[in-house]
Amino acid sequence: MAREVVMPKLGATMEEGIIVSWLVNDGEFIEEGDPIAEIQTDKIVLEVEAESSGHLLKKLYDAGSTVKVHEVIAYMGEENEAIEQIENFSESKDNKLEEVNEEEKVRKTPAANKLAKDNGVDLSLVPGTGPNSRVQKQDVENYLQQDTSKITPLAQKMVKDLKIDDKDLIGSGQHGKITKKDVLSAVTKTTSTQERESSQLKKVPLKGMRKVIAERMSESYYTAPHVTLTTEINMTECVILRKQLLPVIEKETGYRLSYNDLIVKAVAHTLSKNKALNISLQNNEIYFYEEVNIGFAVSLDEGLVVPVIENTDQIGLAEIVKRSKEIVANIKNGKLSPEYFENGTFTISNLGMYAVDSFTPIINQPQSAILGVGRIVEKPVVKNGEVVINSMMQLSLSFDHRVIDGAPAAQFMTDLKENLENPFRMLV
Amino acid sequence: MTTFDVIIIGGGPGGYVAALRGASEGLRVALIEAEQLGGTCLNQGCIPSKTYLKNAEILEEIEQGKQRGILVKDVDFSMEGMVSYKNSVLNNLRMGIQSLLKARKIEVFNGLGLIKNSQEVEVISNNEKTTLSTKNIIIATGSRPLIPKVDGLENVQYHTTDTIFDLKTLPKSMTIVGGGVIGVELADVFSSLGSKVTIIEYSNRIIAMEDEEASKALHKKLHDKGINILTNHLVTSVSEENGCKMLVVEKKSGEKDVISSEELLIAVGRTPNNSATKHIDLAYNGAFIKVNDYLQTNISSIYAVGDVIGGYQLAHVASAEGLTVIENILGNQKKMDYSIVPRCIYTNLQIASIGQSENDLKSKGVDYTVTKYNLFGNGKAQTLGKKDGFVKVFTDSKYGEIYGMCMVGPYVTELIGQGSAYMSLEGTVYEMAEMIQPHPSLSEIFMEVANLSIGKGVH
Ligand SMILES: Cc1cc2nc3c(=O)[nH]c(=O)nc-3n(C[C@H](O)[C@H](O)[C@H](O)COP(=O)(O)OP(=O)(O)OC[C@H]3O[C@@H](n4cnc5c(N)ncnc54)[C@H](O)[C@@H]3O)c2cc1C
Repeated sequence: MAREVVMPKLGATMEEGIIVSWLVNDGEFIEEGDPIAEIQTDKIVLEVEAESSGHLLKKLYDAGSTVKVHEVIAYMGEENEAIEQIENFSESKDNKLEEVNEEEKVRKTPAANKLAKDNGVDLSLVPGTGPNSRVQKQDVENYLQQDTSKITPLAQKMVKDLKIDDKDLIGSGQHGKITKKDVLSAVTKTTSTQERESSQLKKVPLKGMRKVIAERMSESYYTAPHVTLTTEINMTECVILRKQLLPVIEKETGYRLSYNDLIVKAVAHTLSKNKALNISLQNNEIYFYEEVNIGFAVSLDEGLVVPVIENTDQIGLAEIVKRSKEIVANIKNGKLSPEYFENGTFTISNLGMYAVDSFTPIINQPQSAILGVGRIVEKPVVKNGEVVINSMMQLSLSFDHRVIDGAPAAQFMTDLKENLENPFRMLV
Repeated sequence: MTTFDVIIIGGGPGGYVAALRGASEGLRVALIEAEQLGGTCLNQGCIPSKTYLKNAEILEEIEQGKQRGILVKDVDFSMEGMVSYKNSVLNNLRMGIQSLLKARKIEVFNGLGLIKNSQEVEVISNNEKTTLSTKNIIIATGSRPLIPKVDGLENVQYHTTDTIFDLKTLPKSMTIVGGGVIGVELADVFSSLGSKVTIIEYSNRIIAMEDEEASKALHKKLHDKGINILTNHLVTSVSEENGCKMLVVEKKSGEKDVISSEELLIAVGRTPNNSATKHIDLAYNGAFIKVNDYLQTNISSIYAVGDVIGGYQLAHVASAEGLTVIENILGNQKKMDYSIVPRCIYTNLQIASIGQSENDLKSKGVDYTVTKYNLFGNGKAQTLGKKDGFVKVFTDSKYGEIYGMCMVGPYVTELIGQGSAYMSLEGTVYEMAEMIQPHPSLSEIFMEVANLSIGKGVH
């Protein structure tokens, strides 16, 4: 019988995950322990691994879909095995015919379909936000939320009069019905938090890692005059390179090469040629570091840590992959030994797994510069007078203007762009 | 020893309803009742009084039958017959509760409940003591008649609602101290049966908590029936002479008078039963147990509902509170909403209201509109021969929100349920105006008053 692959629950607070990408095609054979898909939680991207060997029979969601934890995302089993569960899951056999017709009109995930059926929602009315406008479960949920019949007559009159969008309101009445109280609380939401019901307000003292981060971030922000330079990188070559190197590096290290690894490599390479950024200001002395030790920000439940790969410019890509994956795994398992975090000279903060294009990072003192990495998106770009679709990514470099001037920083960015856009050269 | 999920002390409408819901939600429930299941409501309150009021209504209608061409000779009345009919009603209802409790496998203990601590309750019956252990406790011990401090009262034989429903003979005359809901209902009953009734009320009007116009309408009705109503009067002393109760009453102006009657009924209010809680350190609001919005006492696993917490002392409020507590025990964090509680007076000119009264609105400085429609124009009221009465709605002029309603007339204690529905679904006076009501019916007054309120009066 076909086995379920479910969205894993990767943390106490995780309620849903995004399928970043499928790593296996329908029908393909997977060994136990092999990754099936990349999953993005609210903090990190992780892989879902096969619990046993078998063929991937069917993926239930497209990449990009948001799925609640423990929900089935795919089925595995024997080659060409029929999957009974899917039929029960998405539709009963009786209305299959109607389904086919509807399918032509509306693209939808099985979970969205089931939810819509259970609630009598006409899927053609639900705007889909998934790939190719596919209707996802969340879309149906949103639609149900804003269903105008779920508002009391009085609340409706108030909404009209006060020119509030009832889509913004959360109904507290029976079955989520919007009531007068909900309208009033939306109107008075801006009043001070003290006036808010204490039961709705959770207060936690600032302590531990959070406190250290808070202090260090504000100290850095207020002592170092930050200047941020941004540039856009054409990552098309990196995408190609990564594809080619994936099997090679995996074979050598047992880990998958990520874009972050490539960026770490490129930054280390660039920094070794731009040592003006590999410096630090401490007690009125400028430290010029010989070593290039790149730190990369890792998000944890309780905050943020920046482990360091020493002599990053001296080691090969495979080694970077190996060390970074091992460090992250150890940290996530609670091994926060100090040696991971010492001697950093430059930091990379990568938010590319989120819907972030660019941001201005705060310098990780006592270092003097930090690079912020946005997501890779396909965009039309002009190349040789022609519009083509390429993979683009934005980078932003914040630097301490007390010790670094604009020109060397700009030079660094220029070189980094050059390296990332021609990544093969870096490896030579 | 088995541990219950919840032990409920008191088998009135607060307690037994909580028990039934708790059990159907899968909780292990024990119910302790010292006297009879059904509490005050069933045994000495709502049900006996409403049974008697029906007798009063029948007698009144027979009398008015002449106008309609119905001639009845030799109408007689038997006190004994009325009491035994009432008892059969009570028995039926009690048996109903008993079998429901049994069907839901609730363990019922007959005895006095005494809370030892937040986890243990002792049941005392016939000098035997059993200790039960539990995760939660609901105090639903209700209330008993409040006896005011009046000179000489302790030396006089008087009635309260605990005894009045079991009178053996009809008194020739009766004085009722208290012109609240209980006082006026029983005045109506005994006056219809033939007693000469006097009501003594300290405030300036009967049913002082209710709408002033409603209070006036009822005053007139009771007065026309022959009931002597003394408002602004305080009873200062009581004595008994030749089997007659002599009450010295004093007007606020200082004038004194003496009222004599065969029977005396004290109906000035109720006081909570706190016998179950003397061993634990509970917080009180006066004599009433203090609870938060979730009906939790200061000891978080002990809840209290019904008359014992004060507020509205009504059976349906007690039941709603019981259901709310079960939700909270199940972890569903539910607050009681007291904003739309219907309040009924079952005299033969009925009064029913819901939501905010005109007094509430005035004292809060709310900008409101009153619309009144007289029952006189209603076809059904004419056919019934009961044309006295009106409906008033208090609304806001902007959205037509219904702030409250007050109704006076036949069957308004049933009709007010429509008010509950409009208000709890947050219907406005505009929806009320559009709803189609049957014709001829008393319900049409909703449609009429609502249209009137939005400036589109029909009749
Ligand atoms: C004459 C009259 C007419 C009324 N008419 C109406 C009406 O028409 N509509 C309306 O809504 N309300 C009416 N009421 C009010 C209504 O009866 C009360 O509001 C309602 O009964 C309160 O319910 P309860 O469960 O809180 O308490 P109760 O009904 O008083 O029940 C409490 C129970 O707890 C028991 N008990 C007390 N202490 C202990 C102990 N230590 N151990 C074990 N058991 C204990 C008592 O024996 C009693 O059975 C009327 C009241 C009276 C007196």
